[in-house]
Amino acid sequence: MKKKRVIKPVVIVWTVIVVCFLLFPFFVMISTMLKPGSEVYVSPPYWIPKKIALSNFIEMWTQHPFARFFLNSFIIAAGTTILTTVLCVPAAYAVSRFRFFGQKLLLYMYLVVQMFSPIIVVIALFKIISRLHMLDTYLGLILVNTVFTLSFVTWMLAGYFKSIPVDIEEAALIDGCTRVQTILKIMIPIAAPGLVTTTIYSFIASWNEFMFALTLVQSVKKSPLTLGLYNFVGRYTTQWEFLTAAAFLAIIPIIVLFLLIEKELVAGIVGGAVKG
Amino acid sequence: MANMRVLQPRRKGHFWTTESKLAFLFLLPATIYLLAFMIYPILNVIIMSTYQTSKMAKMLKFTGFTNYWNLFQRKDFWQVMLRSIYWTGLAVAVKTVFGMVIALLLNVKYTGRKVARTLIIIPWASSIPISSLLWTWVYHPEFGLLNYTLKVTGIWKNPPVWLGAPASAFFSVIWVDIWIGIPFMTLVFLAGMQSISQDLYEAAEVDGANALKRFIYVTLPGLRDVLLIATLLSTLWTFNDFNTIYIITEGGPANSTHILITYIYENTFHFLKWNYGAVMAVITFIILSIIAWIYSRVYFRRET
Repeated sequence: MKKKRVIKPVVIVWTVIVVCFLLFPFFVMISTMLKPGSEVYVSPPYWIPKKIALSNFIEMWTQHPFARFFLNSFIIAAGTTILTTVLCVPAAYAVSRFRFFGQKLLLYMYLVVQMFSPIIVVIALFKIISRLHMLDTYLGLILVNTVFTLSFVTWMLAGYFKSIPVDIEEAALIDGCTRVQTILKIMIPIAAPGLVTTTIYSFIASWNEFMFALTLVQSVKKSPLTLGLYNFVGRYTTQWEFLTAAAFLAIIPIIVLFLLIEKELVAGIVGGAVKG
Repeated sequence: MANMRVLQPRRKGHFWTTESKLAFLFLLPATIYLLAFMIYPILNVIIMSTYQTSKMAKMLKFTGFTNYWNLFQRKDFWQVMLRSIYWTGLAVAVKTVFGMVIALLLNVKYTGRKVARTLIIIPWASSIPISSLLWTWVYHPEFGLLNYTLKVTGIWKNPPVWLGAPASAFFSVIWVDIWIGIPFMTLVFLAGMQSISQDLYEAAEVDGANALKRFIYVTLPGLRDVLLIATLLSTLWTFNDFNTIYIITEGGPANSTHILITYIYENTFHFLKWNYGAVMAVITFIILSIIAWIYSRVYFRRET
C-alpha cells in the first residue's frame, strides 16, 4: 500500500509530460492562430501573443476561399456518408442474417479490401473517373471515397445486426411484417447507435481524405479542406495565421466526433482480441 | 435453435431458396460497387503493368514482364523498397513501445485519468493531412516554435533545419507518422490490460514478484493477441502512409523520404510513367495482401 502512494504522483507527472509532448503541434496551432500577422513572422518567435488577433478568423473566412473549402468538404463527406449507408445496410443485414453460398468468401473479401491502400487503385480510378467525365466534380470524389468506407462499414454494421436477437425479428415476421419492414421498423431502430457510429466514421474518413482529392480535383472551387489547405501552403507565401485558424476550425468538429465513436471503432478494428 | 431454422433455412439441395435470393438481392448493390471500383481497378492496374504506356495513360503495346525487369534493374527502386521496410519496421517498433508505456501510465487509477486518456487520443482523432501541415509549420527553421522551445529550454542548443537535410527530414517525417500511430496502440493495449484479471496480479504479488516481473509474466502474456493484431494493423497502416510524407516533404530532399507508396504516386502523376506506377502498385498489392491475409486469419480465429 505504501508503495502505491509513491507511484501515483510519479505517474501523474509523467502523464502530464506525455500529454504536453503529444499535443505540442496543437499548442503551436493555437499560439499562431491568435497572433496578428506581424507577430507570426518574428525571429526568434514566442509562444504568448502580445495582441490577440481574433480577426484572423474573420479575414480567413471572408478574404480567402476557406468557406468554400468547408462547404466542399461538407458536401463530399455528407454524400459519401449517405451513399455508404444506403449500400451497406442491406449488405450488412444479408451478411448477418442469411446463410448463403459463398458467404465466407464474401466476408473475407470485405475484410481484406478494407486494408488495401488507395494507391493500388488510384491509378485506375483516375482513368475511370476521367472517362466518366467526373474529374473535378463532387460526385466523382463521393463515388471514390465510398469505396474505402464501404467494406469497413458493412463489417461493423453486420456486427451490430448480429447482436440483435433473432426472436424479435421473428415475432414481427410471424405477425405479418415483410422482410423489408422488419429491417426498417425493427432492425434499424435497435441498431441505431451502431448506425450512428458508422455514419460518423464515414463522415470523418471522407472529411480527412487527401490522396483522391489531390488526384481528381483540380480547381479551387471544388477543393475539399485537406486539398485546399495543402495548396494554400504551396501556392502563396503561406499566411500561417490564417492557415492555423482554418486548421483549428477544420479539426475541432472531427476530433469531437471521433471521440464519440472511439471505443466502438477500436472494438471493430481489433475484433475479439480485446475481450479474449 | 428452433428459431434459427426459420430465419436461416439451409436445406440440402435447395440452393436457390427465397431466402438466399433475398440475400443476394441485398448484397448486390454493395458487391457490384466493390467489383466496379475496387476489383476492376486492381485488375486494370495488373494489366497496365504489362503494357508500354503513353503519357496520357494509353496502353500502347503488350510487353509481358519487361516493365518488371526494367524496374528491378533500377537502383532507385531498391532504395525506396529498402526504405519502405525500415520506415515500417522502425515506426511500428517505436509506436509499440510508446503505446505500451503510455498504456501502463494510464492503467494506474487516479482522478483525471479519463481526461488524460482523451487528450492522448487527439493526435489520432485529428485529420492526418491537416496535422501534417501543422507539423511543417512546427518544424519551420526560422519561425517554428519547436526549435525555439528546444533552444530556450536548453534541450538542444543547436537544433537542425529539420526538413532541410536528408537524415533529419527522414526523422522529422517518420516522427509525425509515429505521433499519429501512438494513440491507437495506447488504446488497444489499455483495453487489453484492463481485461486481464486482477487476481493474477495479486497472486503474483503474493508470490513475491516485483513490478517488472509482474509486467513480464502477467501483463505481456495477457496482451499476446492484442499485441499481435495491433502490430499487424500498424504495420499495414505505416507501410501505407502517404499523407505525412507527401504533405511534409513530397519525398525530398533528394528523394530521401520516399517510400514505395509516395514513389508510386510521383512516378504516375508527376513523371507520367504509368507503367512503372502500375508495376509498383502490383508489388504493393501483393505485399498488402500477405499482411491482410495474416490479419484476417488472426481475426477469424478469435471470432469463432
